[in-house]
Amino acid sequence: MSLDLIRDILIATVPLLVIFPTLFAFTTWLERKVLARIQNRVGPNKVGVPLTRYGGRLSLFGLGQPLADGIKMLFKENIVPRDADRLFHLLAPILALIPAMLVLCFLPLNFPWINDIQDSVKAFMLDGAVIFFFAISGLNTLAIFMAGWASRNKYSLLGGMRAIAQMVSYEIPLVLSAVVVVMMVGSLNANSIAGAQAGWNWFIFTPWGFAAFVIFFISALAETNRSPFDLPEAESEIIAGYFTEYSGFKFALFFLGEYIAIFAISGLAVTLFLGGGAGPGVAALPWLSVVWFLVKIFTLIAVMIWLRGTLPRLRVDQLMGFAWKFLLPLSILNIFIAGAALHLVAGERLADLDQKQPILRQLMEGANPLVVAGLWIGALLILYVAAKGLNQLNRAKVRPREYKYAE
Amino acid sequence: MSILGGGVFKGMVVTLRNFVGSYFYKDRLTTNDYSWRPNDKLPQRAGDYPKEEGEQLRDTTTVTNYSRNFPMLLHDGGEPMDTVRCVACQICERECPPQCIYIEKSTEKKENASGKPQFYPATFDIDVSVCMSCQICVEVCPFDAIVMNSQFELSTPNRFGGLLLRRDDLLKSNDYYHRIHPEEAAARDQRIADEKAAKQAKKMAAAEAAKNKAEEKARAEAEANKDTADAEKDAE
Repeated sequence: MSLDLIRDILIATVPLLVIFPTLFAFTTWLERKVLARIQNRVGPNKVGVPLTRYGGRLSLFGLGQPLADGIKMLFKENIVPRDADRLFHLLAPILALIPAMLVLCFLPLNFPWINDIQDSVKAFMLDGAVIFFFAISGLNTLAIFMAGWASRNKYSLLGGMRAIAQMVSYEIPLVLSAVVVVMMVGSLNANSIAGAQAGWNWFIFTPWGFAAFVIFFISALAETNRSPFDLPEAESEIIAGYFTEYSGFKFALFFLGEYIAIFAISGLAVTLFLGGGAGPGVAALPWLSVVWFLVKIFTLIAVMIWLRGTLPRLRVDQLMGFAWKFLLPLSILNIFIAGAALHLVAGERLADLDQKQPILRQLMEGANPLVVAGLWIGALLILYVAAKGLNQLNRAKVRPREYKYAE
Repeated sequence: MSILGGGVFKGMVVTLRNFVGSYFYKDRLTTNDYSWRPNDKLPQRAGDYPKEEGEQLRDTTTVTNYSRNFPMLLHDGGEPMDTVRCVACQICERECPPQCIYIEKSTEKKENASGKPQFYPATFDIDVSVCMSCQICVEVCPFDAIVMNSQFELSTPNRFGGLLLRRDDLLKSNDYYHRIHPEEAAARDQRIADEKAAKQAKKMAAAEAAKNKAEEKARAEAEANKDTADAEKDAE
């Protein structure tokens, strides 16, 4: 391995390992602040710049809180249950963090320094980047079950079992909704997918793209154990699920891994549906694309926090039913609609499309606007009616509750 | 036919309204930020907090007329130990579910507010780290000596001694009670007065009855005497 290659690898990876954990610290603060405001509280506002007097002369809206939390976590006692499998108990948090960190490489973040390094170390230039993303982020499940099993605690094990059931179920609609984008671009290369949406040609602005985005977002919530799908760590039911026997820095690693996974999957959603780094001013100032990318990621995270403050947790049967009876049929239907629509609009030209250029603009060239409008409305209508029908179908099976003794 | 997923958006509007509203309307906030620390010093024990009128008690968001936190001992004004209502009967100590009260009875009696010689608590400690604010001590006290306080800011860096409230920290005047819980205090005072009046009336009635009985007896005796006198007269 040449020295240049090592240097390039370091340039490609080290910034990711610095930027995202820093953003993670900020996100925990943001989440606590937003949740507090949603509940008419103030949230953390005391811890500020270290070594200024307590009482917060320089409290800066409590921005020092993540730092204090981090130091606390670092120095806390590491408690391992007596009967726990010590090796796996130690491995689980590490294994939870590694795939989350790894998939960050697949995000097409065009940092200014990334152009100087050779293409072979840019993971997002990989021809199967999207596939690799799903394959590696799926390892998370293993880590979570490992944590649940190694703790030798019934709550941990229950949390681990729930996590497996949930993640295996939601992986399918997640991947199937990404398929729609892959069909439109004709490539699994993350950079091509982002490049195909340059300007305002984002895939979320197509009916099938929009539906796929909604399915993807819901599945992503479930994949990352976010509320309302946070069953594996449901505090009120199973203490903290697979976290129960973790303390100190191992817990912090889990926490970090969870948030990095959220960043990663939001980043993938941005890449697939929200145009990657596309945005105003990118043509003139290329580094703006990184800013836009992060802004879009944080918009998605803000919506996740907002949903967490709004929705109650689902039951296990509701969760599984939602994945298998609603999201899965809908995402399959969506693939068919996307295929039909692409064939109707582009037809024979599909093979000639240039993957490096905005796909939607190429598709629209020479198409009859009336046909396009009809297609758009028809696709939306079919998807909505199908969703509504599935909803009714699933609902009909639930009998109204009969009260024997009440009333 | 409702829109699919409409409930989610309805909920999100509610939370958004809370989120934005909490920045603009202070009265939406359930807690207030206030500065209570004298000279920026951390209090070493709970007793170091302002005893009667802390800034925290003027914080009307947190301290309402109905808020309650930990018990306090009532006295009727003046020197606290001269007018303390507690007679160290230890009923509250026995009834306390988490057993956070510790009482030592005095060895000698001392005159209380009504001038009656009574025992008094030589020690009266409440461990607020154990107390669960259930108010059972208040319910069982036959002397209306223990009631709930609203003071809530009791944190201290010393977790062993700092959270133990001593007798002198617990003693609060009846006026203070009236200030923090006006309605409850008025009702309690009214009840005490009523009970006192009823007692008084009963006593009066008893005295009256005794007097009437005595008079009747006297009259009966007098009559009997008269009868015997008459009989004696007749016999003569």
